[in-house]
Amino acid sequence: MDLPLILNSFMLLILLTLITPMLLSILLKNYQNSPTNIMYTVKTSFIISLIPMMLFMYMNIESISLYWEWKFITNFKIPLSFKMDQYSLMFFPIALFVTWSILQFASWYMSSEPFITKFFSYLLTFLIAMLILIIANNMFLLFIGWEGVGIMSFLLIGWWHGRAEANTAALQAVLYNRIGDIGLILSMAWLASTMNSWEIQQPLHSQTPLLPLLGLILAATGKSAQFGLHPWLPAAMEGPTPVSALLHSSTMVVAGIFLLIRTHPMFCNNQVALTLCLCLGALSTLYAATCALTQNDIKKIIAFSTSSQLGLMMVAIGLNLPQLAFLHISTHAFFKAMLFLCSGSIIHSLNGEQDIRKMGGLQKLLPTTMSCLTIGNLALMGTPFLAGFYSKDLIIESLNTSYLNTWALVLTLLATSFTATYSLRMTLLVQAGFTRIPSSTPINENDPAITNSITRLALGSIAAGLLITSFILPTKTPPMTMPLITKTTAIIVSTLGIMLALELSKLTHTFTPPKQNALTNFSTTLGYFNPLMHRLSSSKLLSKGQNIASHLIDLTWFKKTGPEGLATLQLKATKSSTNLHTGLVKTYLGTFALSIFIILFML
Amino acid sequence: MTFLHLTFYSTFTLSSLGLAFHRTHLISILLCLESMMLSMYIALSLWPIQTQTASSTLMPILMLAFSACEAGTGLAILVASTRTHGSDHLHNFNLLQC
Repeated sequence: MDLPLILNSFMLLILLTLITPMLLSILLKNYQNSPTNIMYTVKTSFIISLIPMMLFMYMNIESISLYWEWKFITNFKIPLSFKMDQYSLMFFPIALFVTWSILQFASWYMSSEPFITKFFSYLLTFLIAMLILIIANNMFLLFIGWEGVGIMSFLLIGWWHGRAEANTAALQAVLYNRIGDIGLILSMAWLASTMNSWEIQQPLHSQTPLLPLLGLILAATGKSAQFGLHPWLPAAMEGPTPVSALLHSSTMVVAGIFLLIRTHPMFCNNQVALTLCLCLGALSTLYAATCALTQNDIKKIIAFSTSSQLGLMMVAIGLNLPQLAFLHISTHAFFKAMLFLCSGSIIHSLNGEQDIRKMGGLQKLLPTTMSCLTIGNLALMGTPFLAGFYSKDLIIESLNTSYLNTWALVLTLLATSFTATYSLRMTLLVQAGFTRIPSSTPINENDPAITNSITRLALGSIAAGLLITSFILPTKTPPMTMPLITKTTAIIVSTLGIMLALELSKLTHTFTPPKQNALTNFSTTLGYFNPLMHRLSSSKLLSKGQNIASHLIDLTWFKKTGPEGLATLQLKATKSSTNLHTGLVKTYLGTFALSIFIILFML
Repeated sequence: MTFLHLTFYSTFTLSSLGLAFHRTHLISILLCLESMMLSMYIALSLWPIQTQTASSTLMPILMLAFSACEAGTGLAILVASTRTHGSDHLHNFNLLQC
């Protein structure tokens, strides 16, 4: 039994299965895709992908297979090669499982959409691009997947393209991603010129200079919405909820982190790059958690939560622990997708209401959805032994026991407590208390499309952490001994956050409207980043450019040093000597006397 | 500088200053001009005697001739201006004033 052959064949089979709906609709004349068709395709692919995963888990079989080579230039060949290692073999089933659940949910959520088949085929195309990115062995194939997911993100965010905000958000996503792409292309160019190959499995430099690493970090900042290139992620909530669940929580936004995981051998010796990742991640996670505290739109809260968790993944990379970052990606996919699907169920049940100030007491009205929302929030907070615990707690333990920047540690711990705070705020405002919804709403969650998909993801959120950590061995030794307070830091900090949220919720019972102060303003306006970057900086740049180009240059060359300047100079000389040039004899006699005096003093 | 040089310099300078500072009548200017000429004549005459060069004796004669012409011209200007303006006061000469 040639096991690597089975591995390769099954992976290829997965990709072919996914491409089949697209191919058949192009090649055959009377073939019509349908949402159920596509959903079953993804389900089949998921089941097929379990086999390579199990082969890897039990036999530790990894492989790299090369299918074709593009002979670009004589000594620079770009092969079409797939890398089936721990990361891609584990991510395939997870991505396919989450996508299957999302597609099942979307068949209910988008059922009144006239172009639902196009929507599903967009989602399928996105999935194929993402899987190409994951399985790529060289930067070229990865770049193809990278751009593919970027384009599909644009198309899917702007799905309701009649809405101006959706178009703006899609454009914002593309522009911010493009800035990150510059970094990726920079790194690719450096790799092509220095190492003459774009392969990832090649023994990469052990002492890489900083430049390509900065390019990769820039790429991850753009794609994974780290601080600086982050505004597109909350704006991307303009797209339909299945899009937010698939792209902007589980799969696309982790592409940047995945790139850093894949190119990790280049990073592990360069302390500057690692510290940069660490501080950037810590800043992103705290910033996003702060912004999530005062949001009122349920999807924006979850979007900022995603952004915060992405910062945490970046922190894990900065700690030189790529495997831990990957573990967090895997577990995070489950509960974040589930949170989004729950919010989608709530939004449709309340006929399009997304403001949590107008929800409440839904615990009895939408029992399944609310239970799964609670499970998701608990997993997000890192409740012991749910999925989020295995990755999040490990990251915080490693943070506490490493030799690193204290700021990063403090920021991350603060962000963890804020995570607990805003999750509890969301839960309290949505589920608990008296209801604030209008009287007649189409509340109905009895469709198996909703309940099956959400409960499936709930099972994943509970069990995934345990399953993955039981079967995958860590490549770096995790910290084994530490003081009790260090071990329980994450739980203590989360509990403090919960207590804070409970105290603050008591304020809402007294009917006093919240006062505006500097801190709430900072949090509500997302740290003043959007108006600063989008309006102020561009208008100042353009006006300064106009000043320099037209006013300064015109003024200098024409008025001061050019024609007019010459005229002014002459005029000055003329005006000062006019007084002497009278026509009177007495004046001339005076100058004559002056000349005499000069001669006197000269001799 | 010898006593002789000092004499001539001071005479010439005093005459020039007199030319510059007598501002009422044109004729005082002409008189000062004559005294400048006179001091220069005496200086030029004494110079060949000092240096015993006979050929430089020509110079004062030339100077005298030219100064005579110049004095004549000055007097003509004086007469013409007196005939036009009625007096020789300098503040009347403002035809060229801008």
